[in-house]
Amino acid sequence: MTAYTPTHVGSVTKYIVVESFDITPADLAIRAYEISKGAMIKETCFGLVINGKEEEVDRIVAELRKIDPDHIFVKDRGFPPGDARRCRANLGGARPGYNGLEYEMTIIPYISHGLEVLNNKDEKTVPPPDNPLERPVLDISKLKKLIYAQES
Amino acid sequence: MTRPVRIAQLSCGPEYSGIQHEIDEAARQVGGEIFYPDVALKDIHRDFAKFGLDVKSPDLKLTIARAMALVEGRVEADAVFIATCFRCAEAAIVRNELRRYINEHSRLPVVSYSFTERTTSGTLLTRMEALTTIARRRALLARETQNGLTLGVDSGSATTKAIVMRDDQIIGTGWQPTTEVLKSAHEVIAHALAEAGVTRDEIQAVGTTGYGRFLVGKEIKADLIQEELTVNSKGAVYLANRQHGPATVIDIGGMDNKAISVMDGIPGVFTMGGICAGASGRFLEMTAKRLGVEITELGPLSMKGFGGRVSMNSYCIVFGTQSLVNALAAGSTREDVAAAACHSVAEQVYEQQLQEVDIKEPVIMVGGTSLIEGLVFAMGELLQTKIVVPPYSQYIGAVGSALLASGFIKDD
Amino acid sequence: MAKVFIYPATSLILSDMVARFGHTPLSSATAIRERIQTAGLESPPLQITPEEAKKGLKWAAVEVPAGVRGRMSLYGPMIEACEAAIIINDADLAFGCMGCARTNELIKFLVHQKTIPRLELNYPKNEEEGVKFVAAIKRFLTELGATK
Repeated sequence: MTAYTPTHVGSVTKYIVVESFDITPADLAIRAYEISKGAMIKETCFGLVINGKEEEVDRIVAELRKIDPDHIFVKDRGFPPGDARRCRANLGGARPGYNGLEYEMTIIPYISHGLEVLNNKDEKTVPPPDNPLERPVLDISKLKKLIYAQES
Repeated sequence: MTRPVRIAQLSCGPEYSGIQHEIDEAARQVGGEIFYPDVALKDIHRDFAKFGLDVKSPDLKLTIARAMALVEGRVEADAVFIATCFRCAEAAIVRNELRRYINEHSRLPVVSYSFTERTTSGTLLTRMEALTTIARRRALLARETQNGLTLGVDSGSATTKAIVMRDDQIIGTGWQPTTEVLKSAHEVIAHALAEAGVTRDEIQAVGTTGYGRFLVGKEIKADLIQEELTVNSKGAVYLANRQHGPATVIDIGGMDNKAISVMDGIPGVFTMGGICAGASGRFLEMTAKRLGVEITELGPLSMKGFGGRVSMNSYCIVFGTQSLVNALAAGSTREDVAAAACHSVAEQVYEQQLQEVDIKEPVIMVGGTSLIEGLVFAMGELLQTKIVVPPYSQYIGAVGSALLASGFIKDD
Repeated sequence: MAKVFIYPATSLILSDMVARFGHTPLSSATAIRERIQTAGLESPPLQITPEEAKKGLKWAAVEVPAGVRGRMSLYGPMIEACEAAIIINDADLAFGCMGCARTNELIKFLVHQKTIPRLELNYPKNEEEGVKFVAAIKRFLTELGATK
């Protein structure tokens, strides 16, 4: 095995995903270029990938979020932008994580809606979602029906 | 430069086992290129439901969708490599079903492999080479007759073999245990040439195969240096005169075993391996030694015995030898012990290898071990079929090499 | 700021929510980043070497497949380090790092073993559920902030 010398040591990379009718990845990229002080910015089909020192990336992310807070989403990425090891062009197909992101993109509109509603509503007043670990209790009228169905 | 052979990888786990690099490297060494068939989320939803195997692991769902994209021609590939974690039951089911599905619905050669973190590119090399050969050399593999004067050498882990052929006839043979790879090769070649009554200079083309194929091939300036999976399948169907239609080739070798599902002489699905030398010719050699007979006598001896009377598990060569000693100490006859050893090897090949290929008749057994009648009998019992052992079956790799080498004779 | 383990660890939604509401998400990306930014032996693409599968023995026995153990070498330390966790239970289409169902079962089990604040949800299926989903996470993370 050969020795591995890493690049981009000490940097962080983040995805900025935009799901909005009002702004495009290109709009975000322009704003990011304006405020960037040396971070690497790459535009993609779903948003941006930003690489640089952690404080710098965080600062840009915070600024970008302000543009449309309910429709911009951010997550970490392990690889720097355009890394050949994860690049679609080299792999022949998308890395598996891309399909996962594709799936969450179908959910994102509900999240945006939730964020919008909660801008004007106290989250404490919203009933909790169903606990996925609890099996729903059998409704009493349904139980009655089952009993009668059994008897007849 | 020729275009690399595009090998589609269908897998779960190699990146996380630290061996993806080994897969890429093995492919690269034989002129192949690994790629991942590109599918979208909607394809995964649709194809996973359509395939109907309701697995839980997301990467296996993705693998199923990728396989369907290949079979339905939405993504082009030359060959398929299926790899999942060793000891994962869920993945093993997917691996088997996808291998069968691709084999039945496409002409893509497939090899499936279950890896551990210890898998290296060296282990994968022969399999990858076979994949790229089938993809790249279909025309060569389509050869059904041997022309001219050719030499084939099989430098195996246990024995080295040479064959001289002229116009579809075997005219010279050489065989001896492998000691020093080159020395053994030179000696068997000399023997085969002498028997054929020809000189090295008269030989028009040379082919090598087996573990020592590169070393020997370079030394004797071979025209064709080819792994034993394709060469042996070709040799087997040629010698058994079953060049058309399906066949299954079983080769229990000195170090590992091969099971190859062949269609029209070209391997479709194959496996190679073996958990331990306990399921190989080596174990039978040890058995013969312990019983005080020559390996050539083990077959007849075992046919006089009944394996069912002795419990033997050759899962590991050490434990296998131990149960052999125990059985003899407990008063079992040598005949029964010989039969049990044959049954044990056959059973392990059946359990480990033959589950990975679809058995289609005729089943052809080749290699030195195919001369041990007890082993052939035990395999026939397990598979409930009559096994074909062609003439010269112990020279299979050398015959296949000599046959294919005739494709390299220059027309002058 | 609390370290919050997210499941699926590749989730954009959870990663964003945790950071948005003031905490640190522990995700696959951070674990992979650590590996690809550390010198060692070449093992592309993820810089997970066969050694990683051996490190995974701390969480899963040797008869457990290498892919599970290699993945556990990413997630095991994160589960040990986390101070809270948010789990989406119907994450059936999280690939790659979360692509192995057996690993995922073990991860959830180990998180359940820890006595830490934990929120369990399903993905929202409509806008109404979206509001409940975001509200629950915001509530959980705000309370977490108050106790930290």
